[in-house]
Amino acid sequence: MSGPSRLTPHLLLAPALLVNFAVFLAPMLNLAVLSFREARPGGSIGTRFTLSTWQTLIEDPYYLDLVTGSIGLAVPVTIATLLAAYPLALFIHRASQRWRSLLVVACVSPLLVSAVVRTYGWMVILGDSGLVAAAIRTFGMKPPRMVFNTAGVAIALVEILMPTMILCLLAGFGRLSAALEEAAASLGAPPFRVFLRVVLPLSLPGVLLGCLLAFVLTVSSFITPKLLGGGRVILLATEIYDQAIVTLNWPVAAALSVLSLAVFGAALMLYGRLLRRVEA
Amino acid sequence: MAGTRLVLQGLVKRYADGPAAVDGITLDVAPGELLGLLGPSGCGKTTTLRMIGGLIPATAGQITVGGRDVTALPTHKRDMGIVFQSYALFPHMDVAANVAFGLEMRGVKRAESAARVQAALDLVRLGHLAKRRPRELSGGQQQRVALARALVIEPTILLLDEPLSNLDAKLRDEMRAEITDIQRRLGITTVFVTHDQAEALAMCDRIAVMEHGRIAQLGTPHDIYENPACEFVADFVGRSNRIPAQAGPAGIALGAYTIQTPSPTPPGPVTVMIRPHRIELAPPAGPDWNSAAGTVTRVTYVGDLLAVDLDVAGAIFHAERPTQPGMQPPPIGHQTAVSWRISDTMAFPRVP
Repeated sequence: MSGPSRLTPHLLLAPALLVNFAVFLAPMLNLAVLSFREARPGGSIGTRFTLSTWQTLIEDPYYLDLVTGSIGLAVPVTIATLLAAYPLALFIHRASQRWRSLLVVACVSPLLVSAVVRTYGWMVILGDSGLVAAAIRTFGMKPPRMVFNTAGVAIALVEILMPTMILCLLAGFGRLSAALEEAAASLGAPPFRVFLRVVLPLSLPGVLLGCLLAFVLTVSSFITPKLLGGGRVILLATEIYDQAIVTLNWPVAAALSVLSLAVFGAALMLYGRLLRRVEA
Repeated sequence: MAGTRLVLQGLVKRYADGPAAVDGITLDVAPGELLGLLGPSGCGKTTTLRMIGGLIPATAGQITVGGRDVTALPTHKRDMGIVFQSYALFPHMDVAANVAFGLEMRGVKRAESAARVQAALDLVRLGHLAKRRPRELSGGQQQRVALARALVIEPTILLLDEPLSNLDAKLRDEMRAEITDIQRRLGITTVFVTHDQAEALAMCDRIAVMEHGRIAQLGTPHDIYENPACEFVADFVGRSNRIPAQAGPAGIALGAYTIQTPSPTPPGPVTVMIRPHRIELAPPAGPDWNSAAGTVTRVTYVGDLLAVDLDVAGAIFHAERPTQPGMQPPPIGHQTAVSWRISDTMAFPRVP
């Protein structure tokens, strides 16, 4: 008997590759092909191939707005999620072993509740007679509108994305150590400069990972903008749903899916490039 | 660089639960002195060092540097250079940036900083590796970068926390010499924490041997080794035979033999301690010698030493002789005379 051959690692990868091909790559290719098919009234799909769907997507400013709008929401939501999650993650990272696991569970537990339920929760909290509005009224001010607009969607998305962000940050804090911070302090760095020159740079891998996931999840978010947006906040994912289910224009839905995949691809490339730089 | 005097006055560190980790340390470290804090793990030596460096607050007591009370100052205002056991080099900066960090925090101009960094790296003979990342360096090189980084800021006090414990034996000997050389040349007051007694003896001007958060003995390496103040120090520093015996009015009785000590020992149960290499396998050479006879039970040849275990009146004596060409080890079961100087006989009352 010979030892494991050079083929063995590839064979071990085969099941994962197969599953990925069957449930991800093949359907995506199918969608790509579908985007070149002719859309007929009534929702049926013609057999002829045409460039008209893509032409519409490129020519109609509505779709450009859709992409820039989705990115325009995802970037501030990602940044806000990072700012909210970073201090928490750092606190958890520094807690004693016993507390750390407890705090992680506490932070991640919202993931056990479906995004639908959490979104409805936010509708109650942010609604016109909700908690926040009532609190603002107590001070004699007129509360701003916080549901069925972009602000409400952003607030809910930040909360929904925080557990993911915290987990990513914790995973990326591996290079932080108390000794490094002590060394910086002993060399004359006050706490704020220790943070800027040592803690922050060393945590960037986690920051990048968290931002990538938060960005992708925002662009592809569907339930929250659908419910909290009240039909006024239209993002890539909600538009794909509307085109596929409401308008029954599958070629447009397919083309938009390919388009969002391209946005994710671009984000992933940017992530890879930045990661190489911060880990160098 | 003129050294600065460091004084610790009744330094105490107490955590919420349990006994004091450091229980009243008073020390006066002379300018330019290399003082060792030596002891087993948990004796409070690192806690003491961390209090001096301001990494943890002191529960009570006072730390003064050059007459100035620094007890309440945070670490970044203490102006001390600390070399950590793990070296704690910043992994995201190259060697030069690591060394320059302290100068950057002090707002030193770029050109001056570059020159000082180069001088510090040359001091530790690493001038050619300035552009490397810490992870590309060997343990010994990382150690030297850590030393250069701590020295470049011209600290008032240099604190070394077990700096050699992560190095292999050969490199450790090299670094020992290098650290003492640099320390002497710069004349910087240094506190050195170690659990390795040989390291402490070889490097330090004075050693504070610590046990249970207190200083068991403070003295020169020679004092500590030749005149240990208690059984703990005699046992921890160097190797010793520990022989239980009974002190009486005429001396210490071990079976039929009477053992004399340099100063009279109060009657009661005692532990007699003798260094193995001070025991001769020969009759006494003069009146100021103790003598007995024993049966050889084991002989071990280790090249430069011949280790001989003897049964003397039921107690095991471990003797070590330097080897000579043509030396005949005594056969097992052989009866032989043993002798050692009275001045090499240590006796400590046994606590029941």
